[in-house]
Amino acid sequence: MFIQSAPVGTSLVTGLVLLAGPCSATSDPGQTTHQARTSIIRHAEQSRALFGEKGDLISEIFELAEECSVENWDGYDSAPISAQSFQTACDFIRLLPDGIPLPEISSEPDGSISLDWMPSRYRTFSLSIGTSDQFAYAWVDGSDRGHAVARFDFQTIPERILQGIKLFA
Amino acid sequence: MDMLLSGLPKHVSDEESLARFLNSSALFKKADGQIKPAAFMHRNEETSVFRQDTIGEESLWNIGEEIIPEGRRIHGIALIQAAGVRLAGLDVVAKEPPPKHANIVGWVAGSTTINKARNKELAILLAQGAELKRKP
Repeated sequence: MFIQSAPVGTSLVTGLVLLAGPCSATSDPGQTTHQARTSIIRHAEQSRALFGEKGDLISEIFELAEECSVENWDGYDSAPISAQSFQTACDFIRLLPDGIPLPEISSEPDGSISLDWMPSRYRTFSLSIGTSDQFAYAWVDGSDRGHAVARFDFQTIPERILQGIKLFA
Repeated sequence: MDMLLSGLPKHVSDEESLARFLNSSALFKKADGQIKPAAFMHRNEETSVFRQDTIGEESLWNIGEEIIPEGRRIHGIALIQAAGVRLAGLDVVAKEPPPKHANIVGWVAGSTTINKARNKELAILLAQGAELKRKP
């Protein structure tokens, strides 16, 4: 689908408020935005301090979410990254076992965050994290390819996904 | 042969090169230029591309700047041959206006998670067959 361009003047503010979710209780929009911004920045800083490389990746996801925070952010009618997708992606990354290479990240048109392990041009394992606990994932390894869905319980990485990641790490 | 207002034939031939504008630097690996699958994912079962062969490089970048929302920029272009799209089990159909525009179609329809997984597999195939052209 081809979509005509639209201005994105409020992307940062809108994104921060969306990402902050229901944590802001004030009715003053300006104060809400300020609190949301403060909350998110604090969150990113804490992540970096506590989780090392994972914290850096979480900061990258934050920047990506900020970049993709409004409808049609790319001119292709893409949805913004939601607060829930952001939070779930952060939870997933924190649970990755030590020694597993961290993924590349990107945003998908439906507002999901894609985690991609791409050790070479013809080897890719890609996982979508959206607003539900069901993750779509797929892989292509030369002539071997496939796709599946796994449920994330927010406590452990689903075993099938972990095995898949290890094959592509 | 059916022709479009742009002067291009209605049928997109296998030899044609298709350009997908990358509106985020996160859509390719900075280190080696590998295109990420998300670059070809879609929201409405169509992935927008431009038929690149008859467009000069400068004009191609200009088209990208015209379609992108104000305040943003094109970070790169993923180029893929129509034959590669069809090899993955998808198709390319001309869709004008704007001139020289086309859509990659044939994605699995429906918003279930398993359908999305299937489409991710197809998007990986497209990404692996694409070449990155970085912004000069």
